[in-house]
Amino acid sequence: MSAILGYLDPGTGSLILQLIAGGAAAVAVTGKLYWGRLMRVLGVRRREDD
Amino acid sequence: MGSADARARGPAARGRLTGLLRDPGSFRDPDSSVLYDGEGVLRGLTERALADWSAFSATQLYPRLVESGKLVGTQTVDRTDVAPELADGWAALLRHERIPFVSYPYEWTFRMLRDAALLQLELLLSALDEDLTLKDATPYNVQWRGTEPVFIDVGSFERLRPGEAWAGYRQFCMLFLYPLLVRALRGVPFQPWLRGSIDGITPEECRRLLAGRDLRRRGVFAHVYLHAKLERRYGDRRRDLKRELRSAGFSKELIRVNVRKLERLVRSLEPRHEESAWTTYGAVNTYSEADAEGKAAFVQAAAEATRPRLVWDIGCNDGRYSRVAAGASEYVLAIDADERVVDRLYRALRAEGIRNILPLVVDVADPSPALGWRNRERRTLSERGRPDLTLCLALVHHLAITRNVPIRELLDWLRSLGTALVIEFATPEDAMVERLLAAKPEGLHSDYAREPFERALGSAFAVERSEELSSGTRVLYFARPRP
Repeated sequence: MSAILGYLDPGTGSLILQLIAGGAAAVAVTGKLYWGRLMRVLGVRRREDD
Repeated sequence: MGSADARARGPAARGRLTGLLRDPGSFRDPDSSVLYDGEGVLRGLTERALADWSAFSATQLYPRLVESGKLVGTQTVDRTDVAPELADGWAALLRHERIPFVSYPYEWTFRMLRDAALLQLELLLSALDEDLTLKDATPYNVQWRGTEPVFIDVGSFERLRPGEAWAGYRQFCMLFLYPLLVRALRGVPFQPWLRGSIDGITPEECRRLLAGRDLRRRGVFAHVYLHAKLERRYGDRRRDLKRELRSAGFSKELIRVNVRKLERLVRSLEPRHEESAWTTYGAVNTYSEADAEGKAAFVQAAAEATRPRLVWDIGCNDGRYSRVAAGASEYVLAIDADERVVDRLYRALRAEGIRNILPLVVDVADPSPALGWRNRERRTLSERGRPDLTLCLALVHHLAITRNVPIRELLDWLRSLGTALVIEFATPEDAMVERLLAAKPEGLHSDYAREPFERALGSAFAVERSEELSSGTRVLYFARPRP
């Protein structure tokens, strides 16, 4: 299901920055984000229908 | 919805709505729009916004915020009071408390913008506790009751979607953080920038404005430098990052961590370059205490004679006469072109808890224009509320001599506002006038004299009272506009 998103474009760079600025609290999320990307690049995981 | 005809039907009786006019500046969020019913302020909500409002208004947070004055007073309008043609597509209408005078961040001082930023962050933190968030982060959602910041956009509160990052972060940087940073780190005033750019300062612009050594300052490396880099890198890539973040487990705890850090950063910022020619003006100006007391009594009498709803004190400096007028008026706009004196006044009024004086940075020789889409999103100063009484104390000579504004023009403009007037004229023998004239080519202001001033004043206004101050070089006039 596609969530109805806000009227404001949060900006891709600005979203990533929230991970960086989050520091230690964001390490796990950042790890999972890039792990997920790696898995998709390697073809282990497919893009889920969303 | 809304038309000139609707407004012509005039203000609605309490309760029953007769005509609604949409605020032309309220369109960015299609789910929630500001509407006017004469002098009353309402908000129309779509189904989606109504669901968010229902969630928000059911929390303990909502009444707490209204009670503490941090959120604008709001009531749901009874459907039976709304004619179907007025409800026009809105799922619900809310009625808001009226803010005495609408102002914009390019008219605020550093500390006003900082306090507004802290309010924005505080509301976001408390919203997160209730599984809510704020869908945007703009200072245009903050207004003032005197020196007390009030968040006016209840439509900004929405239910938090699990795994979603803070959508307003970029906007917070562009309209709050970067303007504060350029002033705090570089001494560059943010007001001209915000007035020139309705969406604020971009990360890349802020990066270019700051110096290399600013990178060592708290927050600059991440919020400015990296932010600009990432934006350049990802600017035109359309990746569904939101979905990826959600599945990677982005949590509200992460938003909380970021907001708390930003709060500490914003709190730590102080304006650079504190002194100006005007900050010491109250202490070292050329007139005597006896003159100041005479002026205060004159202003007091004028305010009592007019009992104004709105006073403009133009060139307010330390706000001495704004305070006098405030005693007999509903609301006073204390304006001055010098940001630093206004910032000092803001701090003083806030500390004293005075709630009916709004200090604003406005240069009357270059006042706020109409801005934004169709020049209707932000209104000119006088479109937002005309004064019933205007104080022009120690002002005319600065405008006429330093800024070369013709006195007749000045009086024409004041007349066009339809305001009563307390106006001070300093004669050419006055020490300040001599100083100002000395900086100009000889003879350029040979018409600057009491007699032509009084003639010009008399043709636009009916002078009811005049008084020469004890120094003998200053004259005060109380006048009402000629019909």
